[in-house]
Amino acid sequence: MKVLSKVAALCALTVLAACSSNDPSNWGNGGPGGSGGAGGPGAAGSVNDPKSPAYFQQAIGDRVLFAVDQSTLSPQAQTTLQGQAAWLAANPDYTATIEGHADEQGTREYNLALGARRANAAREYLISQGVAGNRLKTVSFGKERPIEVCSTEACYTKNRRAVTVLTAGLTG
Amino acid sequence: MQTGTKISAIAHATLIGWAVFGGTFRSEPLPFEVQDVSIISSEEFAALSAPREAPEVVTRPEEPTEPEAQPQDVVVPEPDTPEPEAPQPEPVPAPAPDPVPEAVPETPEPEVPDDTPTLVQPEPEVAVPAPPADERPKPRPVDRVAPVPVARPDPDTRPDEVESPAVTEDDGAETPQEPSEATAPEEATDQIVTEATETDEAAPLRSPRPPARRPSPPEVAEAPVETPTGTPTEETPRSDTPPATEDAVQDALAEALGGESTAPAPTGPPLTGGEKEGLRVAVSRCWNVGSLSTDALGTTVVVGVDMNQDGTPVVSSIRMLDSQNGSDSAARQAFEAARRAIIRCGASGYDLPVEKYGQWQTIEMTFNPERMRIK
Amino acid sequence: MKRLLTSLFLGLALIAAPALAQNQPLRIIIDEGVIEPLPYAVPDFVPDTPAAAEYAANLSRVIASDLSGTGLFREIGKEAYISQVTSFDAPVQFADWKAINAQALITGAVSVSGQRLTVRFRVWDVFAGTELGNGLQFAGTTDGWRRMAHKVADQVYGRITGEGPYFDSRVVFVSESGPKNDRKKRLAIMDYDGANLQYLTDSSSIVLAPRFSPTGDRVLYTSYEGGFPRIHVLDVGRVERRVLQSQEGTMSFSPRFSPDGRTVLYSVSQGGNTDLHSMDIASGQTRQLTEAPSIETAPSYAPDGSRIVFESDRSGSPQLYIMPAGGGEAERISFGQGRYGTPVWSPRGDLIAFTKQNKGRFHIGVMRTDGSEERLLTASFLDEGPTWAPNGRVIMFTRESQGAEGRASLYSVDITGRNLRPVRTPDGASDPSWSPLLD
Repeated sequence: MKVLSKVAALCALTVLAACSSNDPSNWGNGGPGGSGGAGGPGAAGSVNDPKSPAYFQQAIGDRVLFAVDQSTLSPQAQTTLQGQAAWLAANPDYTATIEGHADEQGTREYNLALGARRANAAREYLISQGVAGNRLKTVSFGKERPIEVCSTEACYTKNRRAVTVLTAGLTG
Repeated sequence: MQTGTKISAIAHATLIGWAVFGGTFRSEPLPFEVQDVSIISSEEFAALSAPREAPEVVTRPEEPTEPEAQPQDVVVPEPDTPEPEAPQPEPVPAPAPDPVPEAVPETPEPEVPDDTPTLVQPEPEVAVPAPPADERPKPRPVDRVAPVPVARPDPDTRPDEVESPAVTEDDGAETPQEPSEATAPEEATDQIVTEATETDEAAPLRSPRPPARRPSPPEVAEAPVETPTGTPTEETPRSDTPPATEDAVQDALAEALGGESTAPAPTGPPLTGGEKEGLRVAVSRCWNVGSLSTDALGTTVVVGVDMNQDGTPVVSSIRMLDSQNGSDSAARQAFEAARRAIIRCGASGYDLPVEKYGQWQTIEMTFNPERMRIK
Repeated sequence: MKRLLTSLFLGLALIAAPALAQNQPLRIIIDEGVIEPLPYAVPDFVPDTPAAAEYAANLSRVIASDLSGTGLFREIGKEAYISQVTSFDAPVQFADWKAINAQALITGAVSVSGQRLTVRFRVWDVFAGTELGNGLQFAGTTDGWRRMAHKVADQVYGRITGEGPYFDSRVVFVSESGPKNDRKKRLAIMDYDGANLQYLTDSSSIVLAPRFSPTGDRVLYTSYEGGFPRIHVLDVGRVERRVLQSQEGTMSFSPRFSPDGRTVLYSVSQGGNTDLHSMDIASGQTRQLTEAPSIETAPSYAPDGSRIVFESDRSGSPQLYIMPAGGGEAERISFGQGRYGTPVWSPRGDLIAFTKQNKGRFHIGVMRTDGSEERLLTASFLDEGPTWAPNGRVIMFTRESQGAEGRASLYSVDITGRNLRPVRTPDGASDPSWSPLLD
């Protein structure tokens, strides 16, 4: 119930279409938010509105990618996270859950642990950029929620990710 | 055992069965009782398994001896089992089991294709110039592993241990031979092909382990039996005796002993290496370790067998003389597999020179599965 | 007279000679044989009553399916039979069964009275003309006829092979449906052969890796119910579940029972680091067993409870380690090429099954507990998560096919690497856990 009400609240903040979208990342499984990010494309205003989650998601980028088996942040990932940190600083009403993911090449257990490492790497970096730790949760989905479904490196590279999912809420 | 004791035993077994099995299944799985109660005594079993015409069965019920083999089993006269002394043709049970509905819908046929599923090969790895060493034919997974690979036989042939040509009546042979099907050994590989070994790249690096084939036969050293390398008859002075004399004396002896059937058989010189090898190969063909436990596959058994002069084994004489490296139960299964091998491949007589009968009247076979275990 | 004496003497000498020869049996060593399924026949059991006819036929079919399913036996179809078994107590016509090369014969009789089903059976070594073991009788309810068939098959299997029983067992697993990026998962339980499938949870949350308790009455699993992975325990009979472990800001997963069922081993991820913990179920008291910056997960107890095998990447890549059950110095046991994971100790204690990833392929393999004699049993795009049959002879695991249409399914394989076969499930299936033998 609690989860449902959260989801409902999130929907209320976003354009309706976002919640029923066909976004492959929207797995609607009762978890807090989808792995693709809060609300999906066009959420809460427009990409042009720098205060909108849509701007966070698309203009800044809600995700960072990792090399095979790695949880270290590339320079590009660090740039993205700097942008996320700045946005979070400017929008203190939002908290975030960072979801760590792995590609399918690995055992279920190891990938869960690896996803946790990735999520934590992103979280640590955001904290180093001034975001308060109590605004950032982490969770790992291991290889359970790929965003791309093919079994080649083209897909794997997108699945090895840490996604910062915004939650509009005072406490989070 | 007194009837009262038996009844009590049954009652107890039932009660325990109920307590153990009936009581714990409040939810699922479904209630279930097991009664480890043997149905009839082992004499009765023996009687039943005796040849049908065996008339001595009539005397059976006179012997109330308890079976000693399974003292833990409660022996009860199964109430609705007709006493076995009258093995007359059984009236078929009331409901002649007509063609029972064969495929019952709710049986979720767990049958599955025997073949290993075809693997979807991942993108071929970067074409490294293939080492030509791999041109040797790759073993195909076949249901049967034998010492020597056997090619897929003609589909018409019936599987048999030995290859024999088809005999047809119009062969114009002098001695009429019964027509028989052509037989051929079943297709076999000479090593276990697992999925992991099937694929090229998956001859994966493994931790060191003993090589599959040892250069020398170390099992001889391990076996407690004297090695058969020396001819077993070396010490016997008989070889000095000219055969003629021997025969003459034997004749005399047979006469003296009143022509008893136990007259010593011709002994002859020791078997040649080829003759022994022939026997070894013949038994090997039927020695199937494919249905043995991993424990039994680690157990060496020494089996003794007395032979008839026609080369067939005396089935009742087959006995386990020794076993090594396994539990009693593993040794028993290993022995049973060995016994099956001796009986099956000896059914029509092993090819042994009758003039040397004395040399192979008794045979001790050591069945060492070590090489089969790591195939 | 002298001649007579001489001949007598000679005769005596010769009597001695054959006697000596008989003490010197011919000795041969057989160290090569064949490996093939043992041909057997299991004619329909004889119904004692008309009501038993259907059960009689079905029982023998399930028994045959169990035996042939091991890959160690091959059934000879009834079309080949020379004689029929029409009475359980009539003598067996061994010659008729020899003629069709049935090396083992299973005969049985079934009677039904009300809901009560009674099965009697015997196992025969056809060529030796002897019975293997004694006749046995099982009694139960008609509803449980499949279990009774499994019981009989277990007996037959044990008497011929010497392995322990395993047919009368169940498997809990994750039933999967839906596309790869939105997979619905729910817990399900079934007989080892796929019959009697039941679902234990709905698919509203991701569920992972169920594990049976040593008595088969409870199942541990990981669920995302609430948004974060946490360990739940489910009572199989009552289908009741509760969260076993929950600590704010952490994820817990990869649970496994101790052999006495009192302790749970599991992984906890906190601050990106994953370590092993244990919990006393009764008191809820927890204990951290490893403290390393590396990933430690997928723990499994030795059957005697003294040691733990687990997966760790402390060396730089995932490998297998063994340490005392209470924590302490860990010893690496895997040294082959590639990455090793999800080790599971065999119920016999002699082997450890594992997942191995090497050169873009996955394998299920086994090794001795000191890491020696590694053998890979399977190879595919993705094999993982082995679980042992109660007798330690067969391994079941998850196989996933690749690509957008990739689907997970269950497979089993003999520890010799032979007899790889799919386990039928209605939907996709993953993460099997084999129960102990029922009883």
